[in-house]
Amino acid sequence: MNIVVEQAQGRVPVAILRLQGDLDGSNYRDLIARAQALYQAGQRHLLIDLGGTPYMSSSGVVALHTIALLYRGAEAPDPEADGWRALKAVAQAPEAGAQEHVKLLNPQKRVAAVLDQVGLQTFFAVFTDQAAAVASF
Amino acid sequence: MARLGVGRERENSTHYTQASAAGLGISRQIRYTIFQPSDSNANSIPVWRKGVVHHLRIAADVQQLAEARRFVAAAAAELGAPIETSDELVLAVDEWLSNVIMHGYAGRPGWIELELWAEPAGLGVRVTDAAPPYDPTRRPEPDLTLPLEQRPIGGLGVYLIRRLMDDVTHAVTAAGGNALTLRKKFPPTPQGDAL
Repeated sequence: MNIVVEQAQGRVPVAILRLQGDLDGSNYRDLIARAQALYQAGQRHLLIDLGGTPYMSSSGVVALHTIALLYRGAEAPDPEADGWRALKAVAQAPEAGAQEHVKLLNPQKRVAAVLDQVGLQTFFAVFTDQAAAVASF
Repeated sequence: MARLGVGRERENSTHYTQASAAGLGISRQIRYTIFQPSDSNANSIPVWRKGVVHHLRIAADVQQLAEARRFVAAAAAELGAPIETSDELVLAVDEWLSNVIMHGYAGRPGWIELELWAEPAGLGVRVTDAAPPYDPTRRPEPDLTLPLEQRPIGGLGVYLIRRLMDDVTHAVTAAGGNALTLRKKFPPTPQGDAL
């Protein structure tokens, strides 16, 4: 999986992470690391472009939720942890509820289906238009 | 796909011939199974059924997950599975492989074998490994009516497997590893029958 970082300016600066390739157990920690590096560099708003990601397993779900937690300023859960642990950590964090800092762009059908299957289809704000997504932060 | 009718396979009467693609870890086997009709006709006799078993052996390495997904998708397509069945099977197998590699072998070298075959109106997959035994069918179902913070920790992959598959069975192999069998029926056709 390739990850390309771009910057956009709306009301606030927004980093766009464009993923190219499958998101699975072999690379989900790479995604967390890239998002974490951006956060440590001062980035506070992240748009993850999943338009180039045809497949995502539950490892990808864990990555997305770990990143959501990071961008709330909370301590990240152990990325080795399986399953609901990351979701639990997000739910217990301050501002639990709709995501303000991490949003998704153009998830493909299979990826959206996985989010739906784990009951998280409404957890992330999802956009199909990049300009609208950037403006929403 | 023609339906074979109602009956019972005698798994212990399965025999294989095999033609391997040397060095690739992928092979196609021809499985001959005695199919026992279940009707009450005393004249019914067992029949031999011939079926292809697709086989893949990979190293227990997360870098092999993509190869395993390609294998399952290709084999499912060759066996006539509709795309939604193939997608769900790919995801379920990926989740189990990830679990075996990351939590079973946990960094130790090892191997995993996949076998995929057609069943009446569906597909079957068996995943065998030599990791410490773990039976996912014994894990309690998470209560999705609970708020996230009250759900039990762990098991998202196992939850997906059980949600996506029609049947999941686990056995401990003679060597002390895992043999997980997944079965998925094809969705009904507009005529109300499975493919």
